[in-house]
Amino acid sequence: MTEGNGWLDRAIEALKEPVQFGDAFDRHVMAEIEAGPGPRAWSSRFWTILDWLRRGRPVSVSPLGGLALAAGIALVALLGQDMLEPEVQGAPVAATVDGSVVQFVIVEPAATAVSLVGDFNDWSAAANPMQRVEGNGVWSVTIPLTAGRYRYAFLVNGSIWLSDPSAPPTLDDEFGRPGSVVTIGES
Amino acid sequence: MGIYDVKGESDAALVERVLAGETDAYAGLVARYRDRLGRYAVRMLGNVADAEEALQDAFVRGYRSLARCTDADRFGAWLFGILVNRCRTLGKQRARRHNLVVFDEPAVAKAAVAHSADRDATREAIEWAVAQISATNREAFLLKYVEELSYDEMTVITGASVSALKMRVARAREDLRRLLAEVERD
Repeated sequence: MTEGNGWLDRAIEALKEPVQFGDAFDRHVMAEIEAGPGPRAWSSRFWTILDWLRRGRPVSVSPLGGLALAAGIALVALLGQDMLEPEVQGAPVAATVDGSVVQFVIVEPAATAVSLVGDFNDWSAAANPMQRVEGNGVWSVTIPLTAGRYRYAFLVNGSIWLSDPSAPPTLDDEFGRPGSVVTIGES
Repeated sequence: MGIYDVKGESDAALVERVLAGETDAYAGLVARYRDRLGRYAVRMLGNVADAEEALQDAFVRGYRSLARCTDADRFGAWLFGILVNRCRTLGKQRARRHNLVVFDEPAVAKAAVAHSADRDATREAIEWAVAQISATNREAFLLKYVEELSYDEMTVITGASVSALKMRVARAREDLRRLLAEVERD
């Protein structure tokens, strides 16, 4: 059975055998759809941009660039502990100020604009622009959040999609693109 | 890519109707992709019940996120991406819950392969062997050989690089060949 490549052809043939779910499956799907909300009317332009960002592309980092990146990540940790109040560290990284207000921070010295996008603002690039903390390349925004688990990311210069290097990643995005996750407990 | 090769009203036309408020038009997309995507889910998860759950979840998520499908002509590939991720999530949940690989009772299946004269031993051996390889490699193997996607298409759906996918496919092939050889010796 496994001599030559005949085994592979037989395996593929077996695995290609059709599977049929029948009309009852269709009815279940449509019943669940009709019982829930309709398609969300997000901005198609935003998703076009997001789709472009999701596509794989080669990235080359020079040794110097790698060092700069590592330094940037280290700076996030240092700033989170020493310079920023409230702190940004650990999981969930963003700090809770009074149980419902959360500060998000990222270090991007070369950025001209940074937005916080996530489940909490329908991934809108306009909803939560971040403010530059003068002089140190740190961008920050503070937003109110109720208890729950939120996926988020940073949109730099309107075109560069970054997860939070100091936050736990989320891998359950429908499109397989990891972002970051913050969980806010009950206060 | 075969999943776009369908007759009748185009995916884009159906998507447009759904977004315009004709919910029933989504039934056309469900009927169009149900069995094709369902086969992937069954092969990936190893049983029909889990596959049905993943597939239904994918269709519902696809409907609710339809505005995010920026190229409606490629609805099938877009939905495939959602299903692949639902299978990953469900597979991990099942594996944690049972502390087993996702296929049901592989040892029993292997024994059945060896001892049941009435069953199609070759087919059973293949299903058993596919269940034994890692989920990551199984995913790549199924997408490449069963769904006949190109590596570029697989990259879009899985988020993995072409080189990583080629390595996964090669490892899956080697694992399958070794496992089937073991069954053959028993």
